Amino acid sequence: MLGYTIKRLLQMTLVLFVVSVIVFLMMSFTGDPVFMVIPIDSTEAEIEQARRLLGLDRSLFSQYWIFLTNLLQGDFGRSYVFRQPAMDLILERLPATIEMVLVAITLATLVAVPLGVYAGANPNRPASRGIMAGSLLGISLPGFWVGMMLIFFFSVRHQFLPSSGRGETIQFLGLRLSILTADGWSHIILPAVTLALATLAIILRITRAGMMEVMRQDYIRFARAKGASRRHILFGHGLKNALIPVVTIFGLQLGDLIAFATITETIFAWPGTGKLLIDSIYRGDRPVIVVYLMLTAFIFVAINFIVDIVYTLIDPRITVK
Amino acid sequence: MLNLRMTKGRNALFAAAVFLASTALTGTVDAKTLKVGLTSDAVSLDPQAGEELSSNILFYHIYDPLVRRKADLSFGPGLAESWSLTDDTTWVFKLRKGVKFHNGTDFKASDVVFTLDRLKKSLMANLGANISAFRAIDDYTVEIKTPRPYAVLPNDLAAVLILSEQYAKEVGNEKLDLKPVGTGPYKVVEWIKEDHITLSANKDYFAGAPKIDTVTFRPITNGATRTAALLTGEVDVIQDLNVRDVSRVQADERYKVLTQPSLLNVVVSIDNREKSPTIALDKNPMADRRVREAMIRAIDTNAINKIIMNGLSTPSDQYVPASHTGHVDGASFRTTYPFDLKKAAELMAEAGYADGFTVTLDATNNRYVNDQQIAQALASMLGKIKINLKLNLMPKSNFFGYIRVPSNQSSLIMSGWDVPSGDGGSMYGVMFYSRGKKQGYGQVNRGSYSNPEVDALIDKADATPKLEERDALLQEVTKILMRDIPMIPIHYEQDLYAAKKTVEITPRADKFLWAYEIDVKE
Repeated sequence: MLGYTIKRLLQMTLVLFVVSVIVFLMMSFTGDPVFMVIPIDSTEAEIEQARRLLGLDRSLFSQYWIFLTNLLQGDFGRSYVFRQPAMDLILERLPATIEMVLVAITLATLVAVPLGVYAGANPNRPASRGIMAGSLLGISLPGFWVGMMLIFFFSVRHQFLPSSGRGETIQFLGLRLSILTADGWSHIILPAVTLALATLAIILRITRAGMMEVMRQDYIRFARAKGASRRHILFGHGLKNALIPVVTIFGLQLGDLIAFATITETIFAWPGTGKLLIDSIYRGDRPVIVVYLMLTAFIFVAINFIVDIVYTLIDPRITVK
Repeated sequence: MLNLRMTKGRNALFAAAVFLASTALTGTVDAKTLKVGLTSDAVSLDPQAGEELSSNILFYHIYDPLVRRKADLSFGPGLAESWSLTDDTTWVFKLRKGVKFHNGTDFKASDVVFTLDRLKKSLMANLGANISAFRAIDDYTVEIKTPRPYAVLPNDLAAVLILSEQYAKEVGNEKLDLKPVGTGPYKVVEWIKEDHITLSANKDYFAGAPKIDTVTFRPITNGATRTAALLTGEVDVIQDLNVRDVSRVQADERYKVLTQPSLLNVVVSIDNREKSPTIALDKNPMADRRVREAMIRAIDTNAINKIIMNGLSTPSDQYVPASHTGHVDGASFRTTYPFDLKKAAELMAEAGYADGFTVTLDATNNRYVNDQQIAQALASMLGKIKINLKLNLMPKSNFFGYIRVPSNQSSLIMSGWDVPSGDGGSMYGVMFYSRGKKQGYGQVNRGSYSNPEVDALIDKADATPKLEERDALLQEVTKILMRDIPMIPIHYEQDLYAAKKTVEITPRADKFLWAYEIDVKE
């Protein structure tokens, strides 16, 4: 177990290193960030001054070297635009994103797993077919369209829920959370539903496929013959064995939602990290993009690590090496 | 005796209670609030850390300049009560007395000196490019020297916001950005990044307490969401209304749509060099004035206005708007060179290019309103006089580095230019002065236009401390430019706002929405 953890940590370090190199190289193709910061009619001297202030007067290689050595000392660099530590900018916005994602994925799981179990156990019922058709819709409808429609229907037409923003927040353990207030909930519902829709559909379909597979197995027939209750067969024997792919997808989706909730955040003016990423790309703000993508890579690696551990809990036959 | 005193005391108490109750009551009834939907959050509240519209809007709520630029681009006293020239290059500014920063310290000449000092070392150093020296004569008098006679120094100073020396030194840059302290009409209460900034009225503001007590700015980047936020009543005013939402908002009697021609002139600069990078000919056809005239005559700005801009643009008459120095009243590219394909074709033939030529236009696809569609329209319009226009479209993050002078990859460049200082000279000096002749001149002369006559006139304009003389000289420049056509002006974009009918707001020419000028009716 310890060896496994160390191996994963080493892998992670390698992934982060590669990500930082790629982002640094790619950003050198996206234009000179200095022109995004200074007025357009600046003279050469003023441009040189700005380059010096931003540390852009050095070669790309030495910029990267400085970035790397600072990184090892816990300094992730400063945003060209905000002139603040890039990590602070991201961490400041991260709670909002994570909060929305957790609400969305909880919602998705709570709806998707029971429906998936039902549709998988009773594949021929009309209700199951309806569920499957609905899930196709969930996968195919683009998030920005769903978001706009929800705003139009619930906010503009019926003035039932607010269209944008985070609403009232409360400080809890140093984090600003909106799920602790009624106003906050009214704000989070629409973006969370928008974000949840595609994930819900995917988890549902995976659960159904797993259940259909499992329900054909001999041990299910045996459990039936034994006289076990239907609920026990479905959830105790069926779902538990169908869960491995669901957990895998759950982990991947969770990482995906945290990293790329961009569109939903933009539509609902949600003050999260996704919007920061888009803005930073437009502004050529390399330090923020680098740190953001490295953090994203870290989150993915960490989630997958946790998923691997969870496998062993679900299926005792699996061990980590 | 005793009895009497008792009643007196009781009366006084009663009166005090009534007074308290009434103030508390009026306090709640009269506390006016305004919620504004902006396109983006402020990047920074440190006025010397960069500039973009949202930050600028907030700067002028929190800070004051020495000279105030009004909504119509005229200039008046700000923190300076008056100013005068003592010699051609020395200005003396008399500061307003009794002004206090939000933290209670007095505003003094030392704050101005500190601000200018810090400005010179900042990213925004170009705001102080025409200031060579400055000092405090006494607590309420500042002397500023310009490197040469410079008639529009007050215009420049309208963009320099005065910081508190004591506060800035005490808290350092980071806190100055997050918790700014100025002399302005509003104080920052709370800034939750990307969610909202709340300001409260500075009741002691030197020009009188603001009418609106609490102002909240919310960044809502998505245009449709911004409209939705207005229609649901989450905000009272929105900036930059989507063109496609105009009729929807207008149809609702609770709201109004406001338009204002912006200062941003979308122009196409033409390469004047002997050989042009993207034209595969030995000679650059566009160096011939007749070809440039043919091009401007082939471009139908009214069609662009109607078809691409939905009527929400103003075809530009000259390079600078009528409110600016250097604008010649009555003259217009549109009347001098009206859209006329026949004449254009004749001019092309006369210049020896009846069969046209191929050239590339560099343009953005995410910077100006409908920039990509405008570029496509130009291609089809110039195609009619056999100029085969290839489009090289790119996002703004690549564009401005790509087209940068010496513009060795560009022949035609479409970009926007605005002069919020109200002085055409600042544009002419950097855009039309011969390249590389003088430090600080011609650095954005993308077409490498060069006319000794223009250079001499700009030199003269920059050597007089008198505004009228400067204006007259710059008008001469405009007349020459209208003959030489170094750039084709297309149009000014239109600024669009939407607001509840109860909000009394007049859009500013410089887009700097200012709550101090806004009121809310019941």
